[in-house]
Amino acid sequence: MDDTAQMALLRLLQLSDTALPIGALNHSFGVESLTLEEALDAVGLEAFLPEYLAEIGSFDVHFCGAAYRLGIAGRLPVEQWLDLNVRYGAFKLARESRTASATLGRRFLRLVEGLIESPNLAAAIVAAQRTDTDIHHCAAFGLAGAALGIDEESTLLAYIHQSLANLISSCQRLLPLGQTQATRMLWKLKPLLADLVRRAQENDFEVDDATCFAPLVEVGSMRHPALPTRLFIS
Amino acid sequence: MDIQLSTATATHQTSTVKRAELPPRVHGRLCLRFEARGDRNQTILAEGEQRLPLRIVRAFQLDDGGALVHLHNLSGGVLGGDQLDVTVEAGPQAVAQVTSTGATRIYRSRENSEPAEQRTRINIEEDGLVEYLPDQLIPFAGSSYRQETKVELGANAGLFWWETVAPGREAHNETFAYDLLQLKTWIGALGQPIAIEHMRIEPARRSVFSLARLGAYTFFSTFYICRVGLETARWSELERLLGELVERLSRLSEIVWGVSPLRAHGLVVRALSVNSREITTGLPEFWRVAKLFLYDRPAVLPRKVY
Repeated sequence: MDDTAQMALLRLLQLSDTALPIGALNHSFGVESLTLEEALDAVGLEAFLPEYLAEIGSFDVHFCGAAYRLGIAGRLPVEQWLDLNVRYGAFKLARESRTASATLGRRFLRLVEGLIESPNLAAAIVAAQRTDTDIHHCAAFGLAGAALGIDEESTLLAYIHQSLANLISSCQRLLPLGQTQATRMLWKLKPLLADLVRRAQENDFEVDDATCFAPLVEVGSMRHPALPTRLFIS
Repeated sequence: MDIQLSTATATHQTSTVKRAELPPRVHGRLCLRFEARGDRNQTILAEGEQRLPLRIVRAFQLDDGGALVHLHNLSGGVLGGDQLDVTVEAGPQAVAQVTSTGATRIYRSRENSEPAEQRTRINIEEDGLVEYLPDQLIPFAGSSYRQETKVELGANAGLFWWETVAPGREAHNETFAYDLLQLKTWIGALGQPIAIEHMRIEPARRSVFSLARLGAYTFFSTFYICRVGLETARWSELERLLGELVERLSRLSEIVWGVSPLRAHGLVVRALSVNSREITTGLPEFWRVAKLFLYDRPAVLPRKVY
């Protein structure tokens, strides 16, 4: 591994760390409601996570990949960047999940833009501010991966891996789920993550073809503000 | 058989029938344009084009000046391979209510046939309002169906649109026995998307009973409530009112409701239920509150046998 590849790997590891200070651990994206209202428990979690990834994870990977491709096209096509984020926001019907994604995306992109000099990241932030457009986390991650010169596959794998790691971490605080059990879950699901990325690549990250059917998670997110006690923002 | 029907008014319709060779796939078509006319802004069905199996019979005047039409599918349902196109246009200040005459039955597809497809385009111009209130969609065992609905809203345009999907013919023990149900929705206001959905349900491939999908529920429903240009504070107020209904009508493990603002210009109400009855009675309650709030007018269910 040459110096450039080493730096890319190390940077990717840091940006996909669940401890990255963007607030990802404060969000459950509707899963907290499922634990309280729909009997999602530690036993059922192992069956739940692959299905969650097949719907929501796969969908997000398409947007992450589409943003990555915009980022490697040379000068950022700003209108397409904004359109991608607007479309993602329109897909996120539940406000809490939409706002969570936008909050993480904005913080993430600003954080990375503060670490490296990248005209594309700066243009992406300025355009979003000028047009009052939300920047979503999956899109921000893809664009940052391209700006950092990290290869496409690694960027996508890192994105979906940190999403799952954050979700499992949330579940550890919601459910009686031990460290070892959580580690095993994350370990066991890695082949699925790779498969989702491969399929999205084969689909050329065509967001018009990406599908998502997760109505119970969505309703959970819609009902989250009314829960009597909440550990998470979403 | 091709039927072309042009309508100058809701009650004076002429039709021309021309015979042609049967196409390999039935291609039904319905294009309706509603316009507000006269001092009282009475909405009339100004233009209509129909091709079997889709038909309307006439437009009925509503008390609030709107026009009501019932969409008929003379096949009795959507047959495998059917291609159906429905276009609804509401001109400036026109108010149209569009409903079905009964549940949309998606029949079993023939082996190797293409999925049945329905494409619906709804264009609502400035100050117009469309209430699209179909009965539930029932996909039979072995059916394969794709639906694409695109709604464009102009300035101050409004939309009330609900859609309920059943698991199949429950009385025949046909729940989630269909092959494919793909629902694509795009709602835009002033050229920008405000709500998009791309659902693909293949019960044999991916369990619908996962908590990531429907869990213990079997019916799902979505109700879009839009009015372009309304201030955020007003949407918050309506969200609060509908939130009270959400709490009152939800009973965990039986029916669960949720409401959320869209990214702009509207709200969405979602319901998951173990039966259709409570969705059918609940949706009009949300509609009544929202219509009174947004238009200061009562919501009156379309005239038909319920």
